[in-house]
Amino acid sequence: MKLAILSESPADEAAIAVLVEAVIGHKFTRVQSSLRARGWPSVAQVLPSIIRHLHFNTDADGLIVVVDSDDSVVHTAPHEAPEYYHPMCRMCQLRAIFRQTMKKLPPAHGRDRILRGVGVAVPAVEAWYLCGLEDSVTEANWIAGQTAAQPPYTRRQLKGRAYGTERPNLYQETEIAVREARRHARDTRRLEYDFPGFASLASELRAWPKVS
Amino acid sequence: MIASVAFRNFKALRSTGLALSPFNLVIGPNGSGKTSLIQAVLQLHNLARLPLRQSGAETERRPEGAEITFRFSPPYDGLEASLGCVSDTMCDLLQVIPLSTGEGVDDWAGLRARLLTVRNYMFEHTAIAAPSSDRDYAELTLNGGNLATVLSARRIHHPEEFARLAAELFRMMPEYDEIEFVELPGRLIDLKLRLADTAEWVVAENLSQGTLYVLALLTLVFDPAPPAIICIEELDRGVHPRMLREMRDLLYRLSYPKETGSQKPPVQVIVTTHSPYLLDLFRDHPEEVVITEKHGAAARFTRLDQCADLTNVLSSGSLGDLWFSGVIGGVPEEK
Ligand SMILES: [Zn+2]
Repeated sequence: MKLAILSESPADEAAIAVLVEAVIGHKFTRVQSSLRARGWPSVAQVLPSIIRHLHFNTDADGLIVVVDSDDSVVHTAPHEAPEYYHPMCRMCQLRAIFRQTMKKLPPAHGRDRILRGVGVAVPAVEAWYLCGLEDSVTEANWIAGQTAAQPPYTRRQLKGRAYGTERPNLYQETEIAVREARRHARDTRRLEYDFPGFASLASELRAWPKVS
Repeated sequence: MIASVAFRNFKALRSTGLALSPFNLVIGPNGSGKTSLIQAVLQLHNLARLPLRQSGAETERRPEGAEITFRFSPPYDGLEASLGCVSDTMCDLLQVIPLSTGEGVDDWAGLRARLLTVRNYMFEHTAIAAPSSDRDYAELTLNGGNLATVLSARRIHHPEEFARLAAELFRMMPEYDEIEFVELPGRLIDLKLRLADTAEWVVAENLSQGTLYVLALLTLVFDPAPPAIICIEELDRGVHPRMLREMRDLLYRLSYPKETGSQKPPVQVIVTTHSPYLLDLFRDHPEEVVITEKHGAAARFTRLDQCADLTNVLSSGSLGDLWFSGVIGGVPEEK
């Protein structure tokens, strides 16, 4: 299987690759390992071009996109209703971009479309790395904090707690991101339970048709 | 080291002040005071070399003349240094004033010794790539022109620090796996890097601009006796946007040595840039970003964390895009 990953840093990409392998249950080949986005809204802006590029110019089977939610609206169960679309939810937005872009594409490289895997880390991917280590770090707690206008933690605090410093260098960040991803890879259920933004990605990956 | 700087009637800086962090990224249009900030720090360094002027010198100052006042962090927060100026561009009177609170009131000698180490850089890749005199090994010069000599001397006198530097270089640029120095006629030294794939050597003049800047930065970061303050103008010049994260990480090692397990004393870093991509990296640390702005003839400084409604502003885009849009200031005035 050939997959491309789009996220905000090489550290995140390395960790996401580990998590994706754990969910699909086998190794995959990275195509176009140099994709990178500058955070939101840059991801949404460049995504159509990246989808078209992968579809026409590579033999990638799928594209995995993972972004941070930051302070945006979190994707919740009501958003999953047919035809529902929340304009401030990054999950809804990214899925819509995939749908819109792929609708217009003719088949290429023997496939109709690129498979889609979208994950949103609430509020940042460091929360995934802390999942299971700190019980208070969950998507539900973040949403409760948003509702009460009292966020339980900031992005900066999450970084400090995940990496042991608020200013990790890329090497430290990658080491810890991969270490925590490997911890989850042994059993992804806790991460899926505490972070529906990861569970959505996992269920998309599991629903993919088997590709040889 | 420097806790704050206040300017009065210095060039376009009519009346403005700024608290400095261990790391400071200065953004703003040309002519808005980015360089004036660095010049002021350098002038403090230059005047600290000379004996202090007696209070009689006060009379030489014009009452409305320019003045730049520095406060320091502990252990020197009991002293204030004031640069008095004979014109609105030339400051040549240094007065050191004891404050009623704070440490180090009697330790001007200690503060002075730290100020004497201040260094400023504006790297030029052509200068870095040129062979340098084997006598010029003491410290890296303004444009990085003696890089080969400084590094070859460091390999001899500080082999462990040199080994760490080389390891970091090869991690950042895995296309290389060895660094070597060449003695040339005329007592010149050149450097070269070996390509990991083909074992071919690449001499300095054929290295990319970005590689040369990374080498210069590594030379500062792995300095066995780092200075108190380093200023670097236009850090992003010639560097690929994706390399900027590594450049920032290197400079953070200077400002926050403990975070990477180093026992070295922290170095205060003041960096100017015009790169929105470099600015993007400071989203979680707005207190490290200094915005310079010019309105008419007057320029002033603000810190990004003082920006009104910052959380909402940041929710709508990357910091670099927001800067370009004008929302956070630091853009040229348009008539
Ligand atoms: Zn949604």
